[in-house]
Amino acid sequence: MLQLAWLIPVLPLIGFLIIGLANKKLPKAVVGFVGCGSILGSFAIVLTLLTEVLNGTIQSETLTYFNWISAGSLDIKLSFLIDPLSVTMMTIITGVGFLIHLYSAGYMSHDEGFARYFAYLNLFVFSMLILVMGSNFLVLFAGWEGVGLCSYLLIGFWFKNNDYNNAAKKAFIMNRIGDLGFLLGMLLIIVTFGSLEYSAVFEQAQTIFKPGVAQPVLIAITLLLFLGATGKSAQIPLYTWLPDAMAGPTPVSALIHAATMVTAGIYMIVRSNVLFSLAPFTLEVIEIIGLTTALFAATIGLVQNDIKKVLAYSTVSQLGYMFFALGMGAYSTAIFHVATHAFFKALLFLGAGSVIHAMSGEQDIRSMGGLWKKLPITFATFIIGTVAIAGIPPFAGFFSKDEILAHAYEHSPILWALGVLGALMTTFYMFRLVFLTFFGSFRGTEHQKSHLHESPLIMTIPLMVLAVLSIIGGFVGVPEVLGGHNFLKSFLSPIIAPINQHTGHALSHSTELMLMGISVGAVLLVIIIAAIVYISKKAVPSPEGSDLSAPHKVLYNKYYIDEIYRTLVVKPLYWLGDIFYKVFEIRIIDNFVNAWGKGVDRGSAGLRFLQNGSISFYMFAMVIGIILILFFNTIIKL
Amino acid sequence: MKTLILTALLGIVSMLSEIFGFRKYLWTILVLGLTGVFCVNLSELTSAYQYFPNMVVFDHYAGVFSGLIILMALVWFFISKDQYDSNEFNQADHYSLIMFALTGTIVLVSFTHLAMLFLGIEILSIPMFILAGSRKHELSSNEASLKYFIMGAFASGILLFGIALLYGATGTFNIHEIALIASNNSGSVSILFYTGIFMVMIGLAFKVSAVPFHFWTPDVYEGSPLVITAFMATIVKTAAFAAFYRLFNTTFAPLIHQWGSTLSVIIIFTILTGNILAVYQTSVKRMLAYSGIAQAGYMLMTILLTTYESQNALILYTSSYALSTLCAFAVLHYVVKIKGSDTFESFSGLGKSHPLLAVIMVISMLSLAGIPPAVGFFAKFYLFSAVLQQGYLALVIVAVLGSLISVYYYFRVIISMYSGESETESIQLTVINKAVLVLIGCLIILLGVTPGLFIDAIKSLT
Repeated sequence: MLQLAWLIPVLPLIGFLIIGLANKKLPKAVVGFVGCGSILGSFAIVLTLLTEVLNGTIQSETLTYFNWISAGSLDIKLSFLIDPLSVTMMTIITGVGFLIHLYSAGYMSHDEGFARYFAYLNLFVFSMLILVMGSNFLVLFAGWEGVGLCSYLLIGFWFKNNDYNNAAKKAFIMNRIGDLGFLLGMLLIIVTFGSLEYSAVFEQAQTIFKPGVAQPVLIAITLLLFLGATGKSAQIPLYTWLPDAMAGPTPVSALIHAATMVTAGIYMIVRSNVLFSLAPFTLEVIEIIGLTTALFAATIGLVQNDIKKVLAYSTVSQLGYMFFALGMGAYSTAIFHVATHAFFKALLFLGAGSVIHAMSGEQDIRSMGGLWKKLPITFATFIIGTVAIAGIPPFAGFFSKDEILAHAYEHSPILWALGVLGALMTTFYMFRLVFLTFFGSFRGTEHQKSHLHESPLIMTIPLMVLAVLSIIGGFVGVPEVLGGHNFLKSFLSPIIAPINQHTGHALSHSTELMLMGISVGAVLLVIIIAAIVYISKKAVPSPEGSDLSAPHKVLYNKYYIDEIYRTLVVKPLYWLGDIFYKVFEIRIIDNFVNAWGKGVDRGSAGLRFLQNGSISFYMFAMVIGIILILFFNTIIKL
Repeated sequence: MKTLILTALLGIVSMLSEIFGFRKYLWTILVLGLTGVFCVNLSELTSAYQYFPNMVVFDHYAGVFSGLIILMALVWFFISKDQYDSNEFNQADHYSLIMFALTGTIVLVSFTHLAMLFLGIEILSIPMFILAGSRKHELSSNEASLKYFIMGAFASGILLFGIALLYGATGTFNIHEIALIASNNSGSVSILFYTGIFMVMIGLAFKVSAVPFHFWTPDVYEGSPLVITAFMATIVKTAAFAAFYRLFNTTFAPLIHQWGSTLSVIIIFTILTGNILAVYQTSVKRMLAYSGIAQAGYMLMTILLTTYESQNALILYTSSYALSTLCAFAVLHYVVKIKGSDTFESFSGLGKSHPLLAVIMVISMLSLAGIPPAVGFFAKFYLFSAVLQQGYLALVIVAVLGSLISVYYYFRVIISMYSGESETESIQLTVINKAVLVLIGCLIILLGVTPGLFIDAIKSLT
């Protein structure tokens, strides 16, 4: 199937071209068919590749198509890398991507921009596949920029609303800051290793740099790459775009801003784990930032009232967990969490979309309540997703989160305690969301109430499939203590640097079981608390504008981070820009440029009279030219 | 060799078509014939045969260039078809002259004997003199033809004089033997030899319209019928460059310290004059003529390079230039049909009335200005970086400044297309015309995004 690997990204690209070029000329059914069909085709090829990788026929294959750019000694090829990591990511992208495409066909069916939506979505899948399939940093970067573009286009999909446009711009700019870091990191890689090809870079890194010795260059490279990752994967300090990105259609939030694109940063770090493992300082930074983001975003999530905002902060928080794992060198664990998170977070977002669909666009959980009767399938699947993210065995989230926490305990019990704290907050806000949305009595308007309905089958089928995956998805990484052998870890081990391969768990089985017991017990306790608050006492968050206690207010306003950024960064930049504009731009640069322009203009006006149409003058000029040439070259040497 | 013979045969077929009355099918025959010639050419690429005791050689270089030229000619046939369908010109005569000119270009890319160089230039030029004047009742066309002829004859005289001097100095016409003599006594070559080199250089500089031998270009380009100008600006120029490069890089390379500085001065003047004068033009056709002069300055830089890589740089640049210029002329051709004029103003509103034409024109202008993602960017990038590696810093600075100026006049076209009101007059393009335009447009972008693909392809042909 390797011969067909190129089709995996090309099929969505063809889908994009067909839908994008024909746009409104195609009937919606055809658009939906082409959009979903192309992804399904890719998914089929990915599955065959996956089986080949699983049974060992393919270990790590680089497929080189052609020399993309060669400049000086640098040769960059357009080539794909098929190995356990890329195949895992491809499976998630095309699999979850297909389900979300299917769901979108129902969700967006009334939208006039249906074709545009599918064109963007297909382009996104294409870019994302390029990102994970590339065998060098430049191909990765091309995909990286492509997904950023699609994210921008889809956040601002309803471009008639100016707030949405601002959200799109914010996402784009925040990402650009990260991208600059990534770009600088790549340039530094070229300077240091003279190549961008993964195999060459990692091989050289292992021979040039010895573990345990501080390497300023390597620290710089990895920090810059990590800066790129914080932008794309919404970590402190660049996370603020992700909650705003919820302006896009809900399936987009599910696909791009939960399941796939935001995990690109994690993929990139896992891919270059050789470099990161040689720079322990960077790993520490990642660990701290990951954990801080996880906790920070979880606290904000506790008090949000917009169903998608809660999920958005939850995503930021979960991504924080993945980085936390990366920082501890637990690369395969991070990918494990990427996979399970993709299942349950996509499920939650799609469920939220189904709720919003039923509520005629309402997103405020204060106006919902008691929806379980009207939306039974959405309710059941949403509960499964919530239980999965809370980490209750045997649902998917339990295994991946537990693996992260076990690693944390190995490093220090304090880290473990903080990790559990985050998990408890996650549980609380998720169950708060569920209880406020599905339980109690309906709090919306009469019009909304009369309109409540379960979504059509095309939307509920993806929900059900994802629910099943959220239940069983964790079984690919059952730890030894529970009788498994952590299949995913051994599957991914070929791409993890040798210095990072643990020979076995440092924790004894009894400690591990005890830790699991404590965290699961605490989670159950929190669920009961949430149930008491939101079901028995029927507490409903206070409406907009009412007085809040000081800490609550800080949380509700997201720690005023946006405001702080505006004062500390945006305003000084405007101010600086103003000065530069008035002084440098107008007085110096403009004058300089205009002087050149005028010079050329005058020169042109003057010189043009040489071209006077008279052939005798032309001949004369030629002869003068000939004489000058011969005079300076030959006669003068006589 | 088959390429050469077949092209000449196609010329004879065109002449016969008038007599035997199959003129209606001539276009189809020629397009199919050229496609066939292209395939034959491809099959011959891997070999290097000498013919007519060492007078021409069909090696890789000749193969690639004749392939390029035939491809461009095919595109030209598609673009110019409606001009000939209108029966303004005598189709059979024109086509046979075009085919003979093509024969000349193929001689020019494959010569190994100085007499063949001269023959090639003449075979190419004489049809062009006639074609330039093919609007018999128009004064400007007659003027163009006459100017071209007088100055061309003068330049040919200089060239021939140079060849004679070279023969006098070396006793041979064979470029490889001359190269041997040149490299054996590169320190002490007779003055006769130098003078010969410079005279040949002047003759060729005229053909590629380098300053100060460029004066004919704007007047001739403007006066000739548009389709003929397109032919001259792309196919003729490519062939002239191929000949220039072949002669100077295989034969005179050991003496580069003697002629390099003179050529550098010519290049600097060519780039500056072409770009600066293009700024003031009101006619797009004339602007393209000056742009052609400026681009010739860039292409001349490849001749200064003595590395093997420079050949790829030349091939990439000439194909990028020719593709983009053909595109521009095609759009201009349609605009003239709609508006009856070729000024910048006549492009206004094209973006609204003919979005496809406008987009193709944008791609072409971006490519000529050297802006990514069009292929022109990479062509310039490869060329400039190769020139820089050889240490010609000043040249590269001038070239970059020149490109800077060029953005002004190339973008003027784009600006006028997307500003101003569209007019009601419109033109219906045939599907084939659209397809050809879209194909070249895509090619320009594709080569710009993946330049390695093209270079790999050229390399793999060796």
